[in-house]
Amino acid sequence: MAAGKNQSSSKQRPPKILLAKPGIDGHDRGVLVLARAFRDAGMEVLYAGLLPTPEEVIDTAVNEDVDVIAMSLLNGAHLTVFKRVADLMKERGIDDIALVGGGTIPEEDKPALEALGITGNYGPGTPLSTIIEHVQKRAAEARAKKLGQD
Amino acid sequence: MSKKELQRQERRSWGRIETNINELVSGVKENKFSSIARAISMVEDEDPLLRKDILRKIGAPTKKAHVVGITGPPGIGKSTLIGNLSSGMMTRGIRNAVLAIDASSPFTGGSLLGNRIRMQDKLRDSHVFMRSLANRGEKGGLSRSAIGAVRILEAAGNQEIIIETVGAGQADLDIMNLADTIVLVLAPGLGDEIQAIKAGIMEISHIFVINKMDREGAYFAMKDIEDIVSMDDHSDWKRPVVGTTSKDNESYNSLIEAILSHRKYLEMNNSLSVKRKFMEMETALEDEINENITSKLKKKLIEVQTSGNKLSNDKSDEDPFSVAEELLKNFLEYSVE
Repeated sequence: MAAGKNQSSSKQRPPKILLAKPGIDGHDRGVLVLARAFRDAGMEVLYAGLLPTPEEVIDTAVNEDVDVIAMSLLNGAHLTVFKRVADLMKERGIDDIALVGGGTIPEEDKPALEALGITGNYGPGTPLSTIIEHVQKRAAEARAKKLGQD
Repeated sequence: MSKKELQRQERRSWGRIETNINELVSGVKENKFSSIARAISMVEDEDPLLRKDILRKIGAPTKKAHVVGITGPPGIGKSTLIGNLSSGMMTRGIRNAVLAIDASSPFTGGSLLGNRIRMQDKLRDSHVFMRSLANRGEKGGLSRSAIGAVRILEAAGNQEIIIETVGAGQADLDIMNLADTIVLVLAPGLGDEIQAIKAGIMEISHIFVINKMDREGAYFAMKDIEDIVSMDDHSDWKRPVVGTTSKDNESYNSLIEAILSHRKYLEMNNSLSVKRKFMEMETALEDEINENITSKLKKKLIEVQTSGNKLSNDKSDEDPFSVAEELLKNFLEYSVE
């Protein structure tokens, strides 16, 4: 696991991440492991709870002003549900929250998700450090956008 | 370069935010959730200039909010209780918002903000704004940004602002200064725990709640607290003890009544948000000192250390206090001139 850097002394607050399994997918063991890993990497982590709708995920993300929404699905509905989240964000004009995906996502679906701006799309067995690094990178991009430094 | 110019230059790096700040403030005043959220992020960022900017533009509230602090040991049911309390207030037409504070890891600075999960269903249905804050290592269970966040929520027109503190006991006293009303949540079966927190938080609480009233021993627990409260003699406010359980929504009515009557009591005594005002000013003063004095002195210290230039009465080998005294003395003399 990537060693965390103590951010409390630095000027910027830590990256804030919302973990969500939008739609009908109750298998959240994996996402809870990620929650812990993100926390240990020095991020502020929220979990949207079981079975939120895409609308609820976005409401939470906006109220908490997160940098990244990290979505995970194991049920094969990613092309529908992840897309719904991405579409809603576009509808509401939110461009400073990054979308990251993961779960059981076939290789051939990844280009479609990337085209929606949903990056990562890691499957089982991915080292935590790879995921953390990617999320941190995306979080930094989103934060820069929020601060108008992009 | 003068200080003003430096500040202006620093500020320019906030580009987009700076141009949008007026829009943001009017969004807050219209109770637009996205604006409130972004404004809170801005006071959360540890840039004192930005914090000053936004809070100044927000200005004095048109109507004072009543701040309710909910505290108690971890796992006692604070989050669930707040979900029910907040939606119960909404049903009565009392607009409110929730701030939940969670602990940050002292090692990594990371944090799991788990309070939301327990209350989000209720809050979403009643359209309540809720925000989680990490305490970033602040002692006393309160995050520094909570002060700014309360002002923002007040400006948004909330009548009640409910704050959940980090689950804590005896040392959780910081909330005393921010909250007008402190609610201590306890549960049956905490016998020894109650003993442990008796001296600290118990003294500053205005309302006691025995949560999980459906559990065995609930009435004994209430009786225990009532015994303690009956010995109060230092205030006109008779501290109520109420029982709640998430199995019965009606049980929260007595808590709402207790909170509202304490508000009335404070308003009658003209002491609503007096302590908060002081805390706001204290924090502002701290920010000013940090910005104008501490950071400069630290720079000076690094200069002295790295350049090898000795201070006039260098005793740094034997005694760091003399070095500190000398630095501060030089600084104060210089600024008087």
